[in-house]
Amino acid sequence: MKMKKTVCRAAGILLTALLLTNVFFRVFKQDGQFSLLQDLHLEVEAQAAKPLTLRVCNWEEYIDLGDWDEEETIELPSGDIIGETPMVEEFEEWYEETYGIPVRVEYSTFGTNEDLYNMLTLGDVYDLVCPSEYLIMKLMAEKALMPLSEEFFDEEQEYNYYIKGVSPFIRNMFETKEIGGEPWAKYAAGYMWGVTGVVYNPELVTREQASSWKILADPAFRRQVTIKDSVRESYFAAVGAIKSDLLTSEAFRSDPDYPQRLEEEMNDTSPEMIAQVEQWLKDVKDNVYSFETDAGKADMITGKVAVNYQWSGDGVYTMDQADEDDFTLAFAVPEESTDIYFDGWVMLKKGIDQDPRKQHAAEAFINYLSRPDNTIRNMYYIGYTSVLSGGDDPRLFEYAQYNYEAEDEEKETVDYDLGYFFADPEEESAAGGSAESGAADADTAGDGDYVIAVPADQADRQVFAAYPPEDVIRRSSIMVYFNDDQNAQINRMWTNVRCYDIREAPVWGWILIAAVLAAGIRLLVKKYKKDGSD
Amino acid sequence: MRFSRKSLGIPYAVFLVIFVAAPLLFLFYYAFTDGQGQFTMYNLTHFFTDPNTLGTLYYSFTIAIVTTAVCLLLAYPAAYFLATSRLQTKSVILMLFIMPMWINFSLRITALKEILNVLEGNLAMHPFLNAVIGMTYDFMPFMILPIYTTISRLDEALREAAMDLGADPVQTFLRVTLPLSVPGILSGVSMVFLPAMTNYVVLDMLYNSTYIMGSLIGSYFAAYNWHGGSMISLILLAMICLFTLLTGNAEEEGARGALL
Repeated sequence: MKMKKTVCRAAGILLTALLLTNVFFRVFKQDGQFSLLQDLHLEVEAQAAKPLTLRVCNWEEYIDLGDWDEEETIELPSGDIIGETPMVEEFEEWYEETYGIPVRVEYSTFGTNEDLYNMLTLGDVYDLVCPSEYLIMKLMAEKALMPLSEEFFDEEQEYNYYIKGVSPFIRNMFETKEIGGEPWAKYAAGYMWGVTGVVYNPELVTREQASSWKILADPAFRRQVTIKDSVRESYFAAVGAIKSDLLTSEAFRSDPDYPQRLEEEMNDTSPEMIAQVEQWLKDVKDNVYSFETDAGKADMITGKVAVNYQWSGDGVYTMDQADEDDFTLAFAVPEESTDIYFDGWVMLKKGIDQDPRKQHAAEAFINYLSRPDNTIRNMYYIGYTSVLSGGDDPRLFEYAQYNYEAEDEEKETVDYDLGYFFADPEEESAAGGSAESGAADADTAGDGDYVIAVPADQADRQVFAAYPPEDVIRRSSIMVYFNDDQNAQINRMWTNVRCYDIREAPVWGWILIAAVLAAGIRLLVKKYKKDGSD
Repeated sequence: MRFSRKSLGIPYAVFLVIFVAAPLLFLFYYAFTDGQGQFTMYNLTHFFTDPNTLGTLYYSFTIAIVTTAVCLLLAYPAAYFLATSRLQTKSVILMLFIMPMWINFSLRITALKEILNVLEGNLAMHPFLNAVIGMTYDFMPFMILPIYTTISRLDEALREAAMDLGADPVQTFLRVTLPLSVPGILSGVSMVFLPAMTNYVVLDMLYNSTYIMGSLIGSYFAAYNWHGGSMISLILLAMICLFTLLTGNAEEEGARGALL
């Protein structure tokens, strides 16, 4: 008996230890890595010939690992594309061949933006990371980022694949959006992008129903809807649903300042708004199937739910998977507004540490990933849409055609215009002038050069999610990063939604707890009595 | 330096310092400071005044209590019959009970999810029930094993003596076997009750979107609030200590009773 008790206690201690190690190690690492970094730096100065180490941190499963089957070869008019070896290794070889400097990439991954931010603040040091737009904005505001070099933006250089290939639409957005008076483009190079919307089962849900955030709280779909277990995404959807009437009104949409006003409305964090969102999300909690972290896609494919709040990239994946089972799903973007998001590469001051060789390698890494064939490999592997349109290189548009263009035997086709994304507005129209926003850009583009004839049903499905049409882009809004105070209020609201409301506790619950407490106290009293009598 | 038997303990002592003592200090530090590193009792008072933490505590408690009770009600008869029977296949049956422990737990819950889906139709309609079923399924072996071991080690002579002295089978069970198996019950209870209060993965996977203690701590950390999260962890730790102390004493009593 003694033995077992010891084992029990040891197990308890071990469990606690495991819990605490995490906290401890992050703090411990801080100092450990700091001194390590200094050593490294000294070493680099002493021996310039030593191989360079580039510490890259990216999302999980967010880069091609190669090893494709022969059948997976992507056959484009401009040549075949196949991933044979991991891209990170290929970069190391390419960099040494091209610049004559050996480089080693220390590649690690993160699961959420919050995880990455925690890793950074608790002492992990990286040179190049790939967070989402709001974390980039936050890091910019905290002055933690290293600006991209002027050389990086030189379109004349052969290997500057990023600036030569980035979509004019994305480029315009990066150059016009600002934090603290500085444009995003100064610090960030885009990687993948998309919008938020809903994947739905067209047999149970009409497209009209799926085109409003209100569907998430619609009692007609009680326990048939999944929503993201994410404060930010939920907040956005809630604001969209609450302000639905305003956002879809003709007067609001034809306002000359529409893009600006939309962004303000969607990023409303006034106390009244937060209170309304809280109430709305509480209703949603009672209505939805679940707040999902990862199960959303599988539950949609297996038909457990009818509607899933999803990022467009994952939406494409979900629809592709369902197609394999001959189960048709579609993707809609709510009429109110959609959260346009992207992940981008940024260099950290702390990691680069004024080392020009490192910065050069980091920028070369971005460019290598932006080489059209590599971009296509990553898009194929990840399933998301790249921010690149390819510039003079036709392969990215060919890849879109390869994916979505109707076969010859297809009876019904519709023309799908991708001009806003692929066409260069300066070449397309001289009247372009200085476009104010992505939406304005879209107006000037699209004279038919970048139109794909897609199967009629595709227009509601994969191609719609991968390259949303212009009208979706027009009603898209960036979700800004919130300051500490706003964040605290919104997180508070989120906890209120997610926690059990103690006022709703049924009597039997209290009786149970009282009984258990009483039993515990009885044990205690008994013990003391015994001790007293001993 | 002369090698003594005490030196054998050094590796574990080092382990203890690095992985138990030091992290505990950090936990204390975070729990009693605010964002600026100033000492504060706010986190502590906040825990006991915030309806959210209290609601979560209530919810976790009820899930844990119901789970433990269900586990006990299912496990005790099974363990009792298994331990007292003279079945040839005893070891096989016991292995069947333990076998789920060899399979990864998220895999098991995924399988359970599909089974429940067939039984219940729409899983999301019964979040509390699902949480209890999932946890019961998950922790059952931890309840069966200690009870089984305790009962199978009971001296047969004690029961025979009770029968000889005129007790009927029910009396024998209630006055001899049951009291003597209390230590097994208690260690089973402590191995089920505590994890059931914090194991939020089961809830996540079975579509219960209400926070329990584990997910509440997680949400604090995700919101960069290390201080509030640490305080909740610390209070949980205190509860666990108290609980272990209580059951530990009772076990000792039980052990003494068995000797008498």
